[in-house]
Amino acid sequence: MDIPYTVTARKDTGLYNAKVGIWLFLASEVMLFGGLFSGYVFLRVYADFPWPERALPVVPGLINTFILIASSVTVVFAWAALKMRKWRQFQVYMVITLICAALFMVLKAVEYNAKWTHQAVRMNDFTVLEGHAHKFTIDDSGKIKHYHPGGHDDGHASNQFEENGMFLVADKEDDHGKSSGGGSKTEHYFNQVVFEADKITVDLERFYAPIISDLMEQAQKQGREIRLSKSVAGRPDAQVAETILAEEGDLLSLGLLKKLQGIHLDAKANNASVRTKQNREAWAKLRGGLSRKERNEPSYKIKDRLELDPKFDEFLVETSSSVTFTIEPKVTFVLKPQKVKEGPTSASFKDGTLLGGKLDEKHSQIEMAADAIDFRFVAQRAEEKGIDPELAIQNTWLMKNNETVRELWEVHNKHIAELEEKLAKKGKEPTDTERYRMGWQELVNIGEGKEVMDAFSGFAGPVHAIGEAKKSHYSRHFPEVVVPREEVNLESKFTPRWNNYYAIYFLITALHGLHVIGGIIVLGYFLFFGKKMYLNNPERLANRVEVCGLFWHFVDLVWIFLFPILYLM
Amino acid sequence: MSAATSHAEHGHDDHHHDDHNPGFLSKYVFSTDHKTIGIQYGIVSLLFLLVGFFLMMVMRWSIAYPHEPLPEWMAFLFTEDWKARWLQDGMVKGETYNMFGAMHGTIMVFLGVVPLGFAAFGNYVTPLQIGAIDMAFPKLNMMSFWLYFPGGALMLASFFLNTGAAQSGWTNYSPLAGIQQSGAPNQWMTGQTWWLLAMVFLISSSLLGSVNFVTTIINLRAKGMTWMRLPFFVWAMLVTGFLLLLAFPPLEAAALMQLSDRVFDSSFFMPSGLVTGNGALEVAGSGSPLLYQHLFWFLGHPEVYVLLLPAIACVAEIIPCNTRKPLWGYRPMVWSVIVLGFLSFIVWAHHMYLTGMGPVISTFFQTTTVLISIPSVILLTSLIISMWGGSIRFTVPMLWATAFIPMFGIGGLTGLPLAFNLVGLHLHDTYYVIGHFHYVVAPGILFGLFAGIYHWYPKITGRYMNNLLGHLHFWPSLIFINVLFFPMLVQGMAGFHRRWYNGGDAYLAQAGESANVFGNTVEQYLPLNITMSNAAFWLALAQIPFIINVFFAWRKGKKVENDNPWDATTLEWATPTPPGHGNFTFDVSVFRGPYEYSRPDCEEDFLPQWHEPAKIEKDPSPTPTKEESKPTVA
Repeated sequence: MDIPYTVTARKDTGLYNAKVGIWLFLASEVMLFGGLFSGYVFLRVYADFPWPERALPVVPGLINTFILIASSVTVVFAWAALKMRKWRQFQVYMVITLICAALFMVLKAVEYNAKWTHQAVRMNDFTVLEGHAHKFTIDDSGKIKHYHPGGHDDGHASNQFEENGMFLVADKEDDHGKSSGGGSKTEHYFNQVVFEADKITVDLERFYAPIISDLMEQAQKQGREIRLSKSVAGRPDAQVAETILAEEGDLLSLGLLKKLQGIHLDAKANNASVRTKQNREAWAKLRGGLSRKERNEPSYKIKDRLELDPKFDEFLVETSSSVTFTIEPKVTFVLKPQKVKEGPTSASFKDGTLLGGKLDEKHSQIEMAADAIDFRFVAQRAEEKGIDPELAIQNTWLMKNNETVRELWEVHNKHIAELEEKLAKKGKEPTDTERYRMGWQELVNIGEGKEVMDAFSGFAGPVHAIGEAKKSHYSRHFPEVVVPREEVNLESKFTPRWNNYYAIYFLITALHGLHVIGGIIVLGYFLFFGKKMYLNNPERLANRVEVCGLFWHFVDLVWIFLFPILYLM
Repeated sequence: MSAATSHAEHGHDDHHHDDHNPGFLSKYVFSTDHKTIGIQYGIVSLLFLLVGFFLMMVMRWSIAYPHEPLPEWMAFLFTEDWKARWLQDGMVKGETYNMFGAMHGTIMVFLGVVPLGFAAFGNYVTPLQIGAIDMAFPKLNMMSFWLYFPGGALMLASFFLNTGAAQSGWTNYSPLAGIQQSGAPNQWMTGQTWWLLAMVFLISSSLLGSVNFVTTIINLRAKGMTWMRLPFFVWAMLVTGFLLLLAFPPLEAAALMQLSDRVFDSSFFMPSGLVTGNGALEVAGSGSPLLYQHLFWFLGHPEVYVLLLPAIACVAEIIPCNTRKPLWGYRPMVWSVIVLGFLSFIVWAHHMYLTGMGPVISTFFQTTTVLISIPSVILLTSLIISMWGGSIRFTVPMLWATAFIPMFGIGGLTGLPLAFNLVGLHLHDTYYVIGHFHYVVAPGILFGLFAGIYHWYPKITGRYMNNLLGHLHFWPSLIFINVLFFPMLVQGMAGFHRRWYNGGDAYLAQAGESANVFGNTVEQYLPLNITMSNAAFWLALAQIPFIINVFFAWRKGKKVENDNPWDATTLEWATPTPPGHGNFTFDVSVFRGPYEYSRPDCEEDFLPQWHEPAKIEKDPSPTPTKEESKPTVA
């Protein structure tokens, strides 16, 4: 009693079950990626920011395209080998297919990594900066060491390191001549919020353990203790006498917080239940005392006549919903900017935890080597308002406060004027990208005194991070930019958060990558565990490989659509 | 899963269950048998319907009695801590109402009605009706259920998170859904996020299910079961399968985008310059809330037909059987259902008239929406005419099936005004819309599915459901469900908004003042809230006979006399009762169409599909067609 048509085709449909199944599945997949592609179109058409064009390195993407096409061919060869009952040949072709798939994923991983280590900043005036953030270290005494690019290896290993091809050397004023010795140092990128706190207030109802743990850990590293500033008294319900739950000076611990939270929640539940009873009784009395006609009145009409019995009030209890701790002396906290809302004297977390103290403005700013300075968004917004874009650019914070950028922009404008002249002969104009964006290639060219715009400048996308030797050489030409935190509108790595281009890029390619991994698993299963089925029923294995091959072709096809829309257009 | 490992040894064979006695786990829990899976789906989805109903009762209490604490008989289900968090001195808070509203819709649609109609009935009945021994991919079928179950569990579990469950309506519109609970420190532990994760489970489940159904219907039909001999039920399942297959993936895309908005802070659906109570959002912006609506309703509208078709399919089986007449207009019905399926893909934007679309687009969607009423009316009319002149047996399933027709009729007709842009603008988001689609879903679709339960219960268990309890279930349900939903149409036209958690109470503060004109309207129609809510509570009582009946009849019900207790013609009645593994005890061949009732040339008033012609048709009256004389080779 077997299910029919698992191996042989049904005569009137001409198909075996799995083949019907896979075509239906692929139809569904078409709708899934169709939804995502229409999302891409929708987001791009209605984008109110300059959509990044050619933001990805074209060559690796192109290589990936050919790798996938090759694997689609070899998977057919593998199937054909099975049809001819040549197991050895099947193995060879399947191995090639899998190697191609693995190569594809490796290239993808390299590309992803390059994206999410790349710092980007959108300022309040919509100037966009891209580049690599510098680092600072914080040691056990809470002292912050500041690293700048420049100079060469001077032999003091503790004061310098290499990052993205730049030699970062400790700042003179931070470096007090002596290294802090054996203590451990923690490295951070310059996009954190640094806050010197002497007070922590915890919301007992909402506090989130990982946030508290992080604060405790940082304080502990710097050898500080967080102690309760005032004794806490309370009782879970009216039957119990009020007791001291935590003494002044008790150390902050999750256990303590959970204990206090438990009592607070018990008290809250007690009060809610008392009030519910009080209300219920009052309503029953009210409705019971009404005439037949009035009994079904909407409650708003009679609610003014409600009399709450005060005898219930004595069962109510009170406990504090938050506790405050003090830190002596201050701790320097390094906090992730997305987790915290900071002000000059306080910083609050999403779980209601509140820090009191002082913001370290100097170390909370973003310091980076910019490999692209982009005024397209500024220009676009200026044009929408009918302002001269050049004027708007001159008025940006960056142009007013950064000498290097001003100089670069002058050179850039000169070259644009030349380009304009050149193009005018052909009846063309420079694009907005050429006009308002200084990309890494241009910055390097200016630095090296070369021709700024060659015909294909930037065609291959941003590849300056590839090639160790050139890297440090290039990075010398990237201008130093320091952006105070209050000038930042949005700061992010090149992740889905940065803009919708990266959001849709990561979503579609990640989903496509998952499909590739799924294919690897199934094809790999046939390769390594298919021998038994091959010996029992070779046609069945061939069918399975055929079906999986169809899926593999689909995955390839998706990439063929993805490549142009994400890499070229 | 032991079955799966034993296969590896056999190597070439997927189906050796009948060789050994499966253990409890592989027989009842991880079963690959379509009938067991159908029953699993049935039980779980009925439980979810119950949960959804309960959520609705809490909401209805809040609407009718906004200043009064929840009564003990509803509140006892919650823990004290939960009540302290979600009730204000025992009264329902606005955010709690939103949460229950969102989850009521989600649970009823995605976890209750679709699994009951498509997955439970589809799984149990479809392979039997086409004469197959099982689904084409039994393991996928099992996986489908075991994706549905954790998805549902995740949905339910989200009630107990700190943030509570999702609170942005069953449509989960962005940007509201994107910012809802976005203040929570861990985005992975919010109800909104779990809603999305659960949807990913449910969508994957329905994908596997629909691939399986369509493949089964295409490839596993028995000998002689040609396309036009398929029972209408199977046709409806085929179309439903295609709808699920093609409509759900765009919602999956939308769910993934919204998930990304929540946990990776992207801006797919976050417009620029969005300001909330907590100030301007720190996101990139430039996203499109409209995109979400398009992706959602591209699923959302076909989903309506995913709900409807299984119900109408059940009714179309029950009516011919109980009128002892062939289904009137079988072929037009088949074509209608196909056209309906196709049209349902191009009407979605009629849910979005209020988004400010241009007249060209809205005219297009208006036209297609009105067009879709043609196949719907063909279906409904055919069912009515099928009853015309029949000698109707008013069995309990037939009662439900009969009630389905006018109830669904009201639902459909009240939908017509909503198809028109101008009226749609006025009625958008009012109780009129709620009344309309609840008429479609509750007394319409659910009645059809109840009919199905009463009809196939004897095949599943070998026992009839109790007649008296059936009547006690049917008549009060019919009355109270109308008292519950009809006033909604009235309130809706008066302008009552669908999301008032206190039933419009807030408009009454200055009802007396002449400036507050709307307040006066609200005051006039407000007492209907109490009528409707009380009807809802009575409706809950009316379901108790059903619950008793299901369990009581399982062990104590009257036994069926033979394998075909309703004297029906389709193949599921040719199996032993209940059908064993592999379903049929003989080699199935089909000789004729599915609804050969009261043929003048037969002694009995029904001629089953599987009876060989030689035995009965000694006197070949008019002219037996060629098709009938010998089974087509398949």
